[in-house]
Amino acid sequence: MQVTLTMKPRAKPFLPIEAEMINPMNFIGSQNLFVWEGNKKRRLEDIFTVRKEGNVNSPENIVVVLRGDTSRVKRVGEYMSSGTIIVEGDIGMHCGNFMRGGFIEIQGNADGWLGREMRGGSILCHGNAGDYCGSGYRGEKRGMRGGKIEVAGNAGDYLGEYLTGGEIHVHGNAGMFAGAEMRGGCLIIDGDARIPAANMAKGTCIIHGEIHEMLPTFEKIGEKDGMLVYHGDVANKGKGELIVKSKIT
Amino acid sequence: MFHIEDKVRHIVCPYCGCLCDDILVELTDGRISGVENACTLGAHKFLDDADNRLKGPIMRKGDQWVDISYEEAIAYAVQTLSEADRPLLYGWSGCVTETQAIGAHLAELIGGVVDSTTSVCHGPSILAIQEVGHPGCTLGQVKNRADTIIYWGSNPIEAHPRHLSRYTNYADAYFLHNAFRERKVIVFDVRKTATSEIASEFVQLEQGGDYHVLSALRAIVRGREDVVPDMVAGVPKSQLIRVAEMCKKAKFGALFFGVGVTMTGGKYKNIRNAIEFVDELNRHTKWTISPMRGHSNVYGSNEVFTWITGYPYAVDYARGIAFYNPGETTAVDILARKEADAALIMASDPGAHFPRTCCEHLAKIPTILFDPYPSATTHLCTVQIPCAVNGIDAAGTAYRMDGIPIRTRKFLETGYPTDTSLMHEIYEQIRERKEHV
Amino acid sequence: MSELLIKNAYVIDPLQGIHGDIMDISIRDGRIVDKVSGSCEVIDAAGNLTLPGGIDSHTHVCGTKVNFGRYMSPEDMRAGRTPRRGAMYPTSGYTVPTTYGNSYRYSKMGYTTLLEGAMAPMEARHTHEEFAATPMQDMLANTLFDGNWSLFEAVGDKDIRQAAAVIGWTLAAVKGFGIKLTNPGGTEAWGFGEDLASIDEEVPNWDITPREIIDTTIRACELLHLPHSVHLHCNNLGMPGNYRTTLETLDIPGDMNPDRQTLYLTHVQFHSYGGNTWGDIKSEAEKISDSINNKPQVVIDMGQVMFGRTMTMTADGPMEFRLYTLHHNKWSNHDVELETGSGIIPVYYSRKSSVNSIMWAIGLELALLVKNPWQCMLTTDNPNGAPFVKYPEIIGLLMSNKYRSKELSQVHKLTTDRTSLGSIDRELSFEEIAVMTRAGQAKALGIINQGKGHFREDALADIAIYPVKPDQTDPSLQYEEVIGAFQQTLYTLKDGVVVSRDGEVITGVANRTFWSKANLPEDMDVLKSPRFVEKFSRFYSVDLENYLVQDEYVQRGVAMNTGVNS
Repeated sequence: MQVTLTMKPRAKPFLPIEAEMINPMNFIGSQNLFVWEGNKKRRLEDIFTVRKEGNVNSPENIVVVLRGDTSRVKRVGEYMSSGTIIVEGDIGMHCGNFMRGGFIEIQGNADGWLGREMRGGSILCHGNAGDYCGSGYRGEKRGMRGGKIEVAGNAGDYLGEYLTGGEIHVHGNAGMFAGAEMRGGCLIIDGDARIPAANMAKGTCIIHGEIHEMLPTFEKIGEKDGMLVYHGDVANKGKGELIVKSKIT
Repeated sequence: MFHIEDKVRHIVCPYCGCLCDDILVELTDGRISGVENACTLGAHKFLDDADNRLKGPIMRKGDQWVDISYEEAIAYAVQTLSEADRPLLYGWSGCVTETQAIGAHLAELIGGVVDSTTSVCHGPSILAIQEVGHPGCTLGQVKNRADTIIYWGSNPIEAHPRHLSRYTNYADAYFLHNAFRERKVIVFDVRKTATSEIASEFVQLEQGGDYHVLSALRAIVRGREDVVPDMVAGVPKSQLIRVAEMCKKAKFGALFFGVGVTMTGGKYKNIRNAIEFVDELNRHTKWTISPMRGHSNVYGSNEVFTWITGYPYAVDYARGIAFYNPGETTAVDILARKEADAALIMASDPGAHFPRTCCEHLAKIPTILFDPYPSATTHLCTVQIPCAVNGIDAAGTAYRMDGIPIRTRKFLETGYPTDTSLMHEIYEQIRERKEHV
Repeated sequence: MSELLIKNAYVIDPLQGIHGDIMDISIRDGRIVDKVSGSCEVIDAAGNLTLPGGIDSHTHVCGTKVNFGRYMSPEDMRAGRTPRRGAMYPTSGYTVPTTYGNSYRYSKMGYTTLLEGAMAPMEARHTHEEFAATPMQDMLANTLFDGNWSLFEAVGDKDIRQAAAVIGWTLAAVKGFGIKLTNPGGTEAWGFGEDLASIDEEVPNWDITPREIIDTTIRACELLHLPHSVHLHCNNLGMPGNYRTTLETLDIPGDMNPDRQTLYLTHVQFHSYGGNTWGDIKSEAEKISDSINNKPQVVIDMGQVMFGRTMTMTADGPMEFRLYTLHHNKWSNHDVELETGSGIIPVYYSRKSSVNSIMWAIGLELALLVKNPWQCMLTTDNPNGAPFVKYPEIIGLLMSNKYRSKELSQVHKLTTDRTSLGSIDRELSFEEIAVMTRAGQAKALGIINQGKGHFREDALADIAIYPVKPDQTDPSLQYEEVIGAFQQTLYTLKDGVVVSRDGEVITGVANRTFWSKANLPEDMDVLKSPRFVEKFSRFYSVDLENYLVQDEYVQRGVAMNTGVNS
């Protein structure tokens, strides 16, 4: 079954919408779904034109397509465990929070906290991801714990903060403090990064581009496959691995 | 002519987070004519007060300001706030906790966001504390014990002029015989400052190099100086080793940091690193770390919001329960994304401190400003409501930068209503309105 | 005039010697009366357990460090969020909920009186501000004296009268209730990063020992006739082998005042450890309870640990730092000049941990081995051992050997060898639980005459009706029903008003703050002592005039008058 949600024009287009109920399993059956626009609770149909095609069987066979300007729609796919969500444009913050399974594809850009505290499944973002992609919540000791996030464009600051498990692969550049406080998992950046792997405890951070402002507290261990291998962060008792390719500036 | 002169003592200065409570104010004919013990910044707060106050509420009508009554101003606030889809209640740092508490409840009542000036000063410090905690102490503990003091990204001689004389370098100390001679002051900054001039050790680092220097210091204290390169962010390794030794040899060390660290480069990561540096030093000797808070009662706003909502600032009640996520629920972010459709600004001046896009948005939406004085924000607001000044003609609770609650004193009768009473009125009217809907 | 009649209540009122009679309770204007008019409102208790409102004699719910626990824990706040309901504000948090969260949850469990365990005098206004936002319970603040320099001087001078003068003045100045000593001397040593290992070690820079501080303070407390005895958190909290310190401390008061309680030892579970390291830690609850069983003038509370996550917070700064070096989680510390310290770290108590499992068992051992329930109060040292919402489970464990055995089989296997819990078959009765959760507290705190903890005529009509019929329930087998009953009342009444019903708080009330007002003769006026005044102006960072807590902060304060004859 495909469910297509097309944004309707809004009187106040900048109001954030919280729509954690946009999760494939919620489209089995015909219960009323509600989202929040600012401080007002709205029916899903007040915000989106909803079109359903095909038969309902199980959530893994449901594809939810978001169409129109969805850049203000937050928490799409939160706690999702199966099925597919395709965002044709940009998506708002916290897309794929706590995701456990299934697939989210974002054809445009994703705002902050993409895949926050994700446990499983995969997210593919064709555009750029905002700050805190694959990170944790304020005060929490664990970020993303499993699954995979792939970003074709660039990522913002604090990419994979507190990454604990799973993999994040950014094809473009990362902002500052990528992989800060990493505790596990694997973070791969094909482009450049600024102050990466700060205070990392465990896990692997691989950077194929240039590193700006490399921290002074990583210990060079050797070379592997043409890459330089560092251990750290020794400011902490860190046992993480930072693998970099090119010269460090 | 007969002049009535009076002196009032133990007045609490409402200017900065030091909340000096030993101010003596001289009154002549019911006006402040002299101030003793205060620094220049604080003295001006008292001496310039009377001449600057707005006489009564004003409302923008086209290009004109029109005088309106307090009742009309409140009615406008009540209607605007209760109808908004995403109201923002910002400021609070100059208010007493009694007003801040009503603010937190009001945000919940109207499904709004309540945020204080914290989000543009020490918000990053709070984010860091939420990651690693905060080994701190009251300022008197520093005064009586500290033999080593670090000011990092902070220039108290200019920003908190009495900090050194009341709590650190020049203060009397119980455990030091000749405190001034025995104390060492270490300053970390990107440029020379008035405070670096009096330091026994000045560490000049490159702009944005705080994190690197802190990481290097942590590694050195952990015995891993072998890893540290010869130069870190413009600082020679030899100086870092010397400073680390000074820190380890201290009997009691106190690190103070200012917005020079919270608002540059890695922001909260800088503070986190500083806290973890202090944690590490505590394995060797006693160290504490404290933010140099700016506004008089900004810390009070954090305390009150925390016990009422669970979070120190940037609390979003859009869905009736508290949600917190700085970067998303902070005033600057909400305005930059043009989310807010009404704003209440309490005793603060975003017009002077916020990015231009935020100010432009404030000017487009109904904005109600509570401030005794005209400010840059006056130019952006729809209505301005003057109220009594906390610490002059209003009293209430304020929290010093180290968490000490102090009651400010009212020593003048001016007839201005307090912000507490006005906020209470707004809250009650909106509550009644909601009950009737 | 408002009147209310509770009919068919299964009343246990230990202070009046009512052991479970079906009876009626009459209420007029918030107080218990002999009878009411026939036309008044009636609640049919239908034979359900009806007790005086619960009293927590040691909890951390308001003030600087509690709020700092909240402040540093947004991850905790996202648990337990509830929206506004009627007149009730939204709440957040699980281990350190917002003030309203604490207040409503305690109210649902039938609690109407709370003693905040630790208030630094200099930060008292903060505690009082939060008291005002904890509306469903009457509040009391134990006031910290463990590092008080003026008290230290009096101890050094062996001047009990001066010690009493300092304590009396301070309590009145900050609107405090009783004396709290937390790791006496140790918090001052922590000012320079040190701690004390025994009660006979000298406090650095001060020519005194913890033993002398405790001894002098108890004598000063008795001289002042304060309602409550000295409330002591012993030195060496949480250290393997610390039971020796605890036993030595228990011997200090002797029969100093044989007529009344002279010492309250708090969270004794944390102070009953044998062994020498975390590897060989074992229970010494038997030795501790033997000592208590021989000292009728001592009361303790359990400080029970329950599994799960929580937040530890105490004025014992050095202990929290030790804990931080073990757990490596976030650590906060806050020393208060001339007075005390404090520390906070989050912890997770795990069944898989031998240490945590032994701790869990020790708390239960204490409650079961102390023979007289009037000497052992039920607490978790909220939230240190567990959030208070776990109290009903603790009641279940104490009332049912079956439940205890079941739980014991699911904790770390070393627990059976290192504690005696498995060999204890005592099961507490409803009456013993009533003593340990209200009547005993009222007596231990000295607030019986304030109308707390009983249904005598003119008592405050604070009442909890729990959905359990004791005469038809066997707690030994039906422990799940008992736990469920104590989790939420049918009715909680505060001052004669139904404030909570079937687990829903339905109306707000205004609470009281009890504080101790010592009336002292002129020679005991510390403000006439140049040494006291000079020390204040030179070494405190606030003016004396701005230190005193103004009446605005205790708008519904109840001053408990006490004093010393000249």
